[in-house]
Amino acid sequence: MQALLSFDKAPLFAAPLRFFLTAPLFALLAGALLLVEGEGMFASRWTPGLLAATHLVTVGFMLQVMLGALIQILPVVAGANLRHPLVVARWLHGGLSGGALLLAAGFLFGQSTLLAAAALVLGASIAMFLVVTWRALSGVPSTSPTIRGLKFALFGLAGAVGLGIVLALALARGWAVPWLALTDLHAAWALGGWAGILLAAMAYVVVPMFQLTPGYPARPSWWLPRVMLGLVLGWTLAVLLEWPLAIRLLQGLTALTGIAFAALTLRLQGQRRRARADATYRYWQLGLLSAVFGLFLLLTATVWPALAELPGFSLVVGILLLVGGFMSFIVGMLYKIVPFLAWLHLQNMCGGQAPNMNRLLPEAAMQRQMRAHAAAVALLLVAVIWPEWLVRPAGAALALAGGWLFFNLWGTVGRYRRHLAKVVPA
Amino acid sequence: MTHPKSTHVVDARYMEPPEPFVRTMEMLDTLKPGEKMLLLLFREPHPLYKVLRQNGYTYEAELVSDGTFEILIWR
Repeated sequence: MQALLSFDKAPLFAAPLRFFLTAPLFALLAGALLLVEGEGMFASRWTPGLLAATHLVTVGFMLQVMLGALIQILPVVAGANLRHPLVVARWLHGGLSGGALLLAAGFLFGQSTLLAAAALVLGASIAMFLVVTWRALSGVPSTSPTIRGLKFALFGLAGAVGLGIVLALALARGWAVPWLALTDLHAAWALGGWAGILLAAMAYVVVPMFQLTPGYPARPSWWLPRVMLGLVLGWTLAVLLEWPLAIRLLQGLTALTGIAFAALTLRLQGQRRRARADATYRYWQLGLLSAVFGLFLLLTATVWPALAELPGFSLVVGILLLVGGFMSFIVGMLYKIVPFLAWLHLQNMCGGQAPNMNRLLPEAAMQRQMRAHAAAVALLLVAVIWPEWLVRPAGAALALAGGWLFFNLWGTVGRYRRHLAKVVPA
Repeated sequence: MTHPKSTHVVDARYMEPPEPFVRTMEMLDTLKPGEKMLLLLFREPHPLYKVLRQNGYTYEAELVSDGTFEILIWR
């Protein structure tokens, strides 16, 4: 049995690990920026500091983990093997980290050269990733909703990055573009067409596997990637045709699709067969509730546009979806993936002598870190109302949660290495 | 547990990895020539597929409406 288990070539650990360890530092940096810049950052969604912090979170943290995880997980969930995964990982990691820093600095200091450089570096790195993954996936038939979702999500990523490059260059070169419509569209591609579809495709596998819930019913699972991508494409067409009513309608339907997915996941979680609520489960609960609340606000704003005119509306929605939603889903998954990969490698290297996963990353450490993250979400939300009092404490909490996440993951890597050194002497 | 597709069934739908893999391998060891086994899971186990192919097994997966993949395995 053991021979067979190790016969199954374990997915790479080093390739995704560099992404997983760098991402928390970007969350820390976003928090530190809020701490230093203070309440001025929350004056509107367009302040240089907030644009910088948002992209430290979305590119530096979210995209970093998502792409790193894909390199490792594509063979596992789709049977698709990337060519030279370690080389791809090295270049992509450098490009994403450097690009995120350039982008944030470009926004913060209003430097057009930095913005153009960020567009170039991020554009080239992500294009390389898209080509490599597309090559690996194109020969794989879509036998599961996950594989179809992955393919659609890559298309969504291309759209999000393409629009991001246009916006960065427009800002750098002073082109006249419809800023509001294009920025909303960029966010729709990034959060709906890319991150949303990817999240669903991964959730179909990891929610039942790690949280012991029933499976996602087949029919809606097949349809969700199609519907979401269709809506975002429709939204794009409506922007091109300058048809505001259609944009509003499509925004509402996109939000509704997200709510349906979150509601279904909450229902499955309610039927889970594990009584214990571990950090991953709690992180997903926080993420789902936060996302439903944010999407509900977006939905309400399509019916009642005056809501979107309220000061701070975009900030609240952004905090709920990004920090409360996607960051929570991602950290929740990291807390399963990192100890599992460490365990799997130890198991393969040491012939079944691997320590228990809970010893590689103790539950209490994850739960404590999660409290800092939840506090950051709450403080950020209230800071929209009282920015002079709370933007800095919210930044401190976000930085603390990011630093703590790094500390927890680094601790797991340390325990993994110590155990490996004991069993396999150098 | 039995199933219309096979009497040799591993229902791994509420098991954590690597238990589904281990239980499937154990069940395969007990199969007589010509017999087939059925693995039930809420995902497609691509790493298992690879091991099956490398060991001369054939498999056929069907996704049914409740999200279960019914994976028939034989040699």
